[in-house]
Amino acid sequence: MDVIKEDQVLDCSGMLCPIPVVKTSKAIKAMEIGQVLKMIATDPGAPPDMEAWSRQTGNELLRSMQEDGKFVFYIKRMK
Amino acid sequence: MSVWKTNEPDVKKILYVQTHGENDPERTATPFFLATAGAAMDNEVCIYFTMNGPQCVAKDNGERIIIPRKGGGGKELKFFIEQAREIGVRFLVCQPSLDLHGYTMDDMIEGVEMIGGAAFNDMACDADAVIGF
Repeated sequence: MDVIKEDQVLDCSGMLCPIPVVKTSKAIKAMEIGQVLKMIATDPGAPPDMEAWSRQTGNELLRSMQEDGKFVFYIKRMK
Repeated sequence: MSVWKTNEPDVKKILYVQTHGENDPERTATPFFLATAGAAMDNEVCIYFTMNGPQCVAKDNGERIIIPRKGGGGKELKFFIEQAREIGVRFLVCQPSLDLHGYTMDDMIEGVEMIGGAAFNDMACDADAVIGF
């Protein structure tokens, strides 16, 4: 798997729905178009949530994976 | 003019309807946090409080209504209200359901807006989704 270089990391470990979504939304709006946010979460609802959030907002979910028992997402700001 | 503010076709409009209040604390938080998630997805989101719903946005009830949690440690409703408000969810009420509880707009927390039945139906027809609780 290619290594994705993130511009910013947002750790939402231990936070429950909808806080990871809210924090991701805020973080991505503060970034430049084309930049990549790495978001880490432990909420088991996070993978379907981030897929839906990305599709709805038009930002690109580059990768959704599990690492060390956590969910890790790479999201590119598209607009 | 519609109560909805957006004219952009790719911004979806979601209307939540909350009919429960202080006698059903376990039914009070969900509309706020689903609305919060909806707003975080760049949608325009309103919650319409009717029947017992206005109790959720009455002053001091945010602290008084505790969302129960098995084993203890329930959260105040205020937490969910503030989360929704901060991300731009709008709170709407109508006069008949204020009268039901003897409320006036002065009893509502800051930012609550008054609409009527016609405006509600107009919003519902224009919404991409209407979700009732």
